[in-house]
Amino acid sequence: MTETLAADPTTVTAPTAKKRRGRRRLRLWVPVGVLTAMLAAAYFAPLPHDPTEPLADTLAAPDGDYWMGTDKFGIDVFSRLVASAGVDIPLAVSGMSISLVIGVLLGLAALHRGPWGERLVRALDVFQAFPLLILAVALVALMGNKIENVVIAIAIINVPRFVRLVRSEGLTIRESRYVEAAHAIGATGRRVMFRHVLPNMTGIILAQASLAVAHSIVVIASLSFLGIGINAADPSWGAMIQTGAQNITTGQWWVAVFPGLAIFLTVLCFNAISDQLQDSFGRARQR
Amino acid sequence: MSTLDALRRPRQQPAAPDGGGAGRRLLEVRGLTTRFDTPDGLVHAVNGVDFYVDRGEIVGVVGESGCGKSVTIRSILGLVRPPGRVVDGTAYFDGVDLLGLRGADLRRLRGKEIGFIAQNPFSALNPVMRIHRQFANIMAAHGVKSDGEARDRARAALADVGIAGPDRVLDGYAHQLSGGMAQRVVIAMAMLLNPAFVVADEPTTGLDLTVQRQILDLIRRLVREHGQSMLLVTHDLGVVAQYCDRVVVMYAGKVIEHGTVRQVLNDPRHPYTQALIRAIPRPGQPLVHLTGRLPDLVNYPAGCPFRARCPHAFEPCGHIVPDAVTMASGQTYWCHLRQEKEEVG
Amino acid sequence: MRVLRYARRRMFFLPVGLLSVIVLAFLLVNALPGNPVGVIAGPAATPEELAQIESRLGLDQPLWERFVTYIGNLAQGDLGSSYYTDRSILSEIVRFAPATLELVILSLIVAAVLGIGLGTLGAYYKGTMADRTSRFVITTFQSIPDFFLALLLIYLCFYIAGWAPAPVGRLGLMDEAPPTVTHALLVDSLLSGDMKIFRSAVAHSVLPVLTLGIYYSAYFARSTYAALVPALESKQVEFARACGLPERSVLAYAFRQARTPILTYGGILLAALLGGAAIIETIFSWGGFGEWAIDSILQLDMPAVQGFIVAAGLGTLLAFTALDILVAVLDPRVRYD
Repeated sequence: MTETLAADPTTVTAPTAKKRRGRRRLRLWVPVGVLTAMLAAAYFAPLPHDPTEPLADTLAAPDGDYWMGTDKFGIDVFSRLVASAGVDIPLAVSGMSISLVIGVLLGLAALHRGPWGERLVRALDVFQAFPLLILAVALVALMGNKIENVVIAIAIINVPRFVRLVRSEGLTIRESRYVEAAHAIGATGRRVMFRHVLPNMTGIILAQASLAVAHSIVVIASLSFLGIGINAADPSWGAMIQTGAQNITTGQWWVAVFPGLAIFLTVLCFNAISDQLQDSFGRARQR
Repeated sequence: MSTLDALRRPRQQPAAPDGGGAGRRLLEVRGLTTRFDTPDGLVHAVNGVDFYVDRGEIVGVVGESGCGKSVTIRSILGLVRPPGRVVDGTAYFDGVDLLGLRGADLRRLRGKEIGFIAQNPFSALNPVMRIHRQFANIMAAHGVKSDGEARDRARAALADVGIAGPDRVLDGYAHQLSGGMAQRVVIAMAMLLNPAFVVADEPTTGLDLTVQRQILDLIRRLVREHGQSMLLVTHDLGVVAQYCDRVVVMYAGKVIEHGTVRQVLNDPRHPYTQALIRAIPRPGQPLVHLTGRLPDLVNYPAGCPFRARCPHAFEPCGHIVPDAVTMASGQTYWCHLRQEKEEVG
Repeated sequence: MRVLRYARRRMFFLPVGLLSVIVLAFLLVNALPGNPVGVIAGPAATPEELAQIESRLGLDQPLWERFVTYIGNLAQGDLGSSYYTDRSILSEIVRFAPATLELVILSLIVAAVLGIGLGTLGAYYKGTMADRTSRFVITTFQSIPDFFLALLLIYLCFYIAGWAPAPVGRLGLMDEAPPTVTHALLVDSLLSGDMKIFRSAVAHSVLPVLTLGIYYSAYFARSTYAALVPALESKQVEFARACGLPERSVLAYAFRQARTPILTYGGILLAALLGGAAIIETIFSWGGFGEWAIDSILQLDMPAVQGFIVAAGLGTLLAFTALDILVAVLDPRVRYD
């Protein structure tokens, strides 16, 4: 029976720890690579056609010249789709970044003992009860139908998720021994916050940020689908789908389906990055 | 005064094994091997464990946390969940290999033939279901469908574990009970269908010291009265000394020594067992701590798993897994430091 | 009874919540710079015309005076009337809300069945092929924007396969609407006893319900998975197994543990769907509450926007309160004080 270890039946089939780490890393870097490639193409790649100028062929089916066909105005779907990545993704990322900064600061503030932290979270709960898409539509419509207001709306609707995350994570970390120790050796509250509490939740905040970008991409697309925010002449996936929506019941699927797939791919990548970050940071914490 | 006598308080002699099954094996585990396929690698939790339980016997399984004792009993009961997997071995219970049983066949044995006393009653009992419903569910799973009969038997089982007002407990929820009471309810559930074999997984963790004694006394009384056998998992050698007939010492997923409680505690052969016994607090003696940590179960060490912490480690320990050494008395240990005269073939 | 006392105290929060929703609605509509006067008057309007419209709408008064009027009217059940159609907002809500409720409730049921099923499958077979498959499906569902999914389904089920009717509303163009009782077409057509119309109404609901059901099932699946995995690994479930309970009962034990977070999530989704269905309503010309809200917002029809916010807020508050009470009833451990 001392031979059991040597002739272990599972060590042969089970992947080694190294291989697993490699696979995990792949699941993070593949989506990052896809997104980078999309942005690079939007900014630097030579497009086969002008993404805003109509051509003679309207509603042409995909072929060797028009890889994804043309829409009812005669604009090349592929070129417009690639150019849209350079509009939609930066909008989502910049809106999210603003809410990240505000949300984290508010979340840290809400960690202070006393009634105001609790009250802030309650207030945000009321906010959460409100349908976010409608809120975004209302904000943009009421502030003025401009692209910067889309960024502001995205920033506003994403603030609560960061506040809630930072507060709940912070409460957990604050109870941990090393923060107690930092207090015990006389570190000030603010120093403890920024030196000990915040760095310990970077990973989980990044995971939430990636999720927020994924959600924002959909909200921005919904807005431009409704014709709000982004100028109809500028390339954006939501407006492209809106253009193709009427054609779908008459069979010209390519106008709406390709930009839809582009959104799908982008959202999928950001979701995957979020999952992967959450996984690896969650694991690191458990140790 | 010997170690054993120091540990043992006065206790009655173990009841004589009942005539019918005298000397017969109830459970025989051989080569039990369980692995966990985790993201951090393959964890070698249980590595070729051999032991047995005879009828009418109380066998203690002892070792520090992480030594595989808890995975061992879960493997036998078929409670190892993915990513864990029993990859090798047999566990013959009353002539049936438990490890070969699947689904419903195994389920029918659990609760009926093998009772399980869980560690913490508050995590084991269903918090949002009234106690009597939980009793009824167990009985329904084993063929008692009538609620009235189920209630009568639950009442009797609760009276058996010394609960005075069984109806009040039955109509309430787990969180309304004290720790000791809740643990009695768990014992009543394990004993409900009078199983031949009881597995107790550190049944007194988290209870007050006085309550611990009461619970262990109760379990032993019930096991003896019903002529049952028991596997008692604990990390406390004092409990083993007082309540068990034989003991199995585990380390890093292996059995490193087993024998009767008297033999092992009076004459421990394995350096790990010796260290465990030294670590028991005794009046008038300084506490001796066991230094070092369990070996990495992912990159399982070659040779003897205890080598890194062993004060007597010498050359072969690093690459040769020690063979079993069985003494004339039946006491067995796995160590290279053998004394020739004790060896039997 | 303790649960009743809890319910009563929980109910006390309703007016507080409602008041904050009302204030929020007023501020959102009045404090932001959007100006409806210009939109109503059109680009060619003269300053006199603009001033006239402004005073007709009461927008020349200071903010606090407008707030007092607004609250006073609200107290009498008057939500104002549309800038454009002059219809009373309350009657508009009564007209549009049932269509949305119908859609939301059916979608929520589809989402719950599909999502809880997927989440359970993954959690129960964690670490196996079934788990990976269910996670793949969930991620896919979650990453498809709902309006794109709607178009895909229309293309596949209407244009290619011809299973579904054209996405032109709640009934076909040739169907005659049943007499209005509740404004919920499925109910009204059933009440009228006209099975042909009822079948048509059901057929027209299939695609929008499926769209929202699939999209929101991902959220149900995620919360089910997250709650069920620890429940299945809990000592409680292990003890139930060790007592010989069949797997069906074991799963039921795990569900009892996991149901609170799943239920809570269902409540949040209900709230999200009340307005979140807007875009799907637009695509299917559903004539619902969300569609009405978006149209009103785009026209800067302030009383309608306010009315929508108050109604949606009230609906959400009621849903959350009912949910909290339900959770308290189901879980004997919830502290009532």
